[in-house]
Order: sequence, then structure tokens, then C-alpha cells
Amino acid sequence: MTARCPSDLALERHLLSPEGTALIGHLAACQDCAARLATMQRQGDDFLRFVYPATVEAVEAAAARPSLALAWRRWFALVPALGGAAALLFFLARPQAPPDDYLGTKGGGPLGLAVFVQDGPSPRLARDGEPVPAAAALRFRVRIARPCHLWLLSVDARGQVSRLYPTAGEGGASVEQSADLPGGAVLDGQPGPERIVALCAPAPLGWAAAESAVRASLGAPGPDSVRRAASIGGLPAGTAQDSLLLEKKP
Amino acid sequence: MSEHRSKAAELYRTWGPAVYRRCLRILKDQEAAKDATQEVFVKLIRDMSKLEDRETVLPWIYRVATNHCLNQRRNGSRRGEDFEAPPLELVASADHDTLPDRLLVQSILSRFDATTQTVAVGVLVDGMEQEEVAVVLGLSRRTVARKLARFLDLARHHVDRS
Repeated sequence: MTARCPSDLALERHLLSPEGTALIGHLAACQDCAARLATMQRQGDDFLRFVYPATVEAVEAAAARPSLALAWRRWFALVPALGGAAALLFFLARPQAPPDDYLGTKGGGPLGLAVFVQDGPSPRLARDGEPVPAAAALRFRVRIARPCHLWLLSVDARGQVSRLYPTAGEGGASVEQSADLPGGAVLDGQPGPERIVALCAPAPLGWAAAESAVRASLGAPGPDSVRRAASIGGLPAGTAQDSLLLEKKP
Repeated sequence: MSEHRSKAAELYRTWGPAVYRRCLRILKDQEAAKDATQEVFVKLIRDMSKLEDRETVLPWIYRVATNHCLNQRRNGSRRGEDFEAPPLELVASADHDTLPDRLLVQSILSRFDATTQTVAVGVLVDGMEQEEVAVVLGLSRRTVARKLARFLDLARHHVDRS
């Protein structure tokens, strides 16, 4: 190979899109590179014949395993709080970052929650009670007036409370300032109301206490209970809260 | 979830050949490359949306697969496993005509961080231009040149000592 011969990566690009590269002339004139390309094509054929059938199942299983996705690039999953059966929400993919101009849309309270829905080319701010695709991808941003211990959770018509952020640890995430919450989530595809709740406590607030307060405020599970549960009672003094209702549509 | 699985399978069919070729290039063993391809793709599939971006996916695949397979080479060698990858084949270039033989380059590689290893392999083994390596690694051309110079300096130092 001479110094002017294309790299392996350039040849990969050529294999992907021959008309999109400027290598055709070189390949016609350079026997070495033509041979390299032929070898690469043969290796690709070998992959499809032998490697792919033997390994695709493991790749599919890895793709379907939420725990793998959770650790990647600070995504967080919507982890079901009730034993894992009939998961409410699950992680799927990373939506784009929300636009920067949303702060203030939730008023001037001590805690503001913004939910962004990725159902088009760019994320859009969801309004309270808005219909969204049942499997929409979501991202979240919080505006806080002072540092606090944050929980983000959701509750659905079956009464299932899901822990969204933080996904690990006790006491809630210590948040110093308004921020995009790392990661995102995807709704589970089940039609019905879903309420996203943010709690911001002045001191560490145990998950059990947060979950219990939400359950008590929901009362009997059902769609109307979720729609009415805009205010969570039984929280420690000084705990700020905000929530947003989403109507998941098929 | 089944849709997720089928999408993963489709992406694997599309991009798996590039991963496999990369692993084969570095590991030079079909069985080791097969295992490494699966392992690399399990890493890649964690960011499925990135795999769907045809404009940017190849440099990313190249980087992840190269790092993984260089680690395989290094770890296999350290553990004294049966599989020991044959030496990497260097491309001819005026920049490193005075370099020691392939075995020496291979032993020197393991003394550097993953980024420098990828720089060295990209330029010396794959014949990439430094600018191309810079794009793949998301580094400046100057940083790539500096890392390559450090690598070559150490290689020459070893030649002088021996």
C-alpha cells in the first residue's frame, strides 16, 4: 500500500456508499487496494454467513435488557417500584436535548417540572393533561429555588408508582440548581393517564416515604384518581412539589 | 420490546460486517474476531440511535472496535492465554521507516493509553491520515500529532537501547 492508498475506514465508507466516495478511480488503478476491498467484501460475507447467525441472539438479548441501556451516557430508566411485573415504563432511546427557552413556563413556585416529549424531529414541551403517544420518549428538567433532595416518580391508573430519578440510593438526588435531569425515558405503550411527579425536600427523603405519600394521595387506583392527584399530601414540611399529567394515547 | 430486538438485529446485520472486519484486522483470528464482534456490538447497541445515524456511525464503530480489540490483544497476552494475536502489520510510510519491527511496536503499544494506541494503530497499521484519526477520536490534529510523536519517540528509544 502506498501513502496515497485509502485507509480501512475510507474503504468501509466506500463499501457503504460507493457512489459517495472518490475512490473509484484509485481502486481501478491500484491492484493492492482492489484486493483489499475484495477481501473486505469476503469478510463481510463471512460475517453474514457464519458470525451473524451464531451471535445475533446475544445481541438482541442485550438490546432488550434495560440494565444495559441504563448505564449508558447517564440515562436513567423508569424503574417499576412494584416488583417489576407489568413494567410501567421502560428505557428505550435517548431523545434530543430539550430547548433552552422553557424555564418559567411552570410559574414561579419553589419547584418547576418540565416534561419534554420526543415525538417529532425535536423535543417539545408537554402541557398538563396533553395527549401524547403511549410510547413517547421523555426528558425532564427541573427548576428549583434552592438546593434540595429531589425525587422524580410516576404513577399510573393501576396505582403503580415508578421510581424515575434517582434510580438508585435513598434520600433522593441532591440537586444544587435547576438542571436537565440526566437521561430520559420512554412510556410503556399502555394507554391511559400517567402523572409525573417531582418532589423536592429540604432534607433527605426516603423512597418509601415518598412512595407512600403518593399512594395515599392517589387513593383507589384508577384513571380519575391519577387525573385528580395533582397535589401530594403527607410530605415533610418544606417539601416542594410539582406534577404533570400525560394522557397516553395509542 | 420485540420491536427493539428486531431493530437491534437489523442494525447488527447492517453494521456487524464493519465491526467484524475491524476485529479481524486487529485480532487476526476468526474465532476471536467473532467473539469480539459480538462483544463490541453489545456495547454499540446501548446507543441504538447513534447506530441509526449513517453519517457518523462508522468512525464511532471504528473507535469502539479498535479499543476493544486492542484490549483483547493486551489482556490475552497478559493472561498468557492460548490465543495470542499475531503481530499487527504496519503500512509503509516515510514517517516510520526507521521504526523497529512489528513485534517491538506491539510491545510498545501496551505502554500507552487507549487513545494513543488508537492513534498509533490508525496511522501505522491502518494507514490513516492524522486528520482522519483526529475526526475518529474527536481530537485536534495537533493532539493526534503529539500523541503519535510520543509513541514514535519511545519506539526509537527502544531501538536505540537494543
